[in-house]
Amino acid sequence: MAHSLSPQCTPLKLEYDSCFNTWFEGYLEPAIAAAETPAKREAYSRQKATEFQEKCGKIWESYRDCVSKAVKEKGLDTLLQQARDENPLTEPPLPPSTPSDGLKSS
Amino acid sequence: MHFFSQAFNYEHPWSHVVIGMWHKYPNSKCSHVISIDTIDRSVDPKTGIIRTERVLGCKQKTPTWIVKLFGGSEDAFVREISFIDPSTQNATITSVNLSLSQFATCFERIQYSPMSHSRTHFTQTAEIQARMTLWRTAADGLERWLVQRFEQNAHLGKLGFTDVLSTLWQERQLQQAQT
Repeated sequence: MAHSLSPQCTPLKLEYDSCFNTWFEGYLEPAIAAAETPAKREAYSRQKATEFQEKCGKIWESYRDCVSKAVKEKGLDTLLQQARDENPLTEPPLPPSTPSDGLKSS
Repeated sequence: MHFFSQAFNYEHPWSHVVIGMWHKYPNSKCSHVISIDTIDRSVDPKTGIIRTERVLGCKQKTPTWIVKLFGGSEDAFVREISFIDPSTQNATITSVNLSLSQFATCFERIQYSPMSHSRTHFTQTAEIQARMTLWRTAADGLERWLVQRFEQNAHLGKLGFTDVLSTLWQERQLQQAQT
């Protein structure tokens, strides 16, 4: 895993990343299976979102505090705010046509 | 504006590719990426979609004229937003440069979607665009400055030549009167 932009934050970053990766690798395959019905999907998503918060919430807070300070020190906070204003990207992009759709139509 | 795009398949299932996304760096072939930080992440408790906002730090040899002209440095930072939707098996990653963003933007979009149970389709598109409005403002400013300087100089030229002429002919008149 790559370093943090601030060497001070690297230990926190590595701990957070490995917490997320462990959670994510357990999350992904069952999440695909749970997509079968909306009710299943919602129940699973809620349970796993809570679990993520419980497992990685604490280390996330320490890491976030460290990195947001580093972002400010590098003068990236204003650039980041401009980028967010210009392109919030808060919603997932519309699912584009999948390659299999392309095959079907041709 | 310049466009770039490519597409191909990875011989791995979608879930393996998406898990691998978080292990992409460090990687000896992409040694220009030197830091990665997650600055925001959310797991939607309704849809299960994971949104991640990261800042990537890159070190790349920049031509010296670019550094001199735009005041950049070898360190460049990129903002990256990814959405992973397990229910539609779709992962999209959008990146835009933070460094030098007042002059030009490089907007990249990557998408991973399943091609079959053991193959993943990858598409990448990028739009590279100089901020023309800024160039225009700068060009207009330069033009205005040039016009002002020209008007000032033209005015001073007139005053100066008026002086030269009057001095010259006053002297000539004086000389004539003496002879």
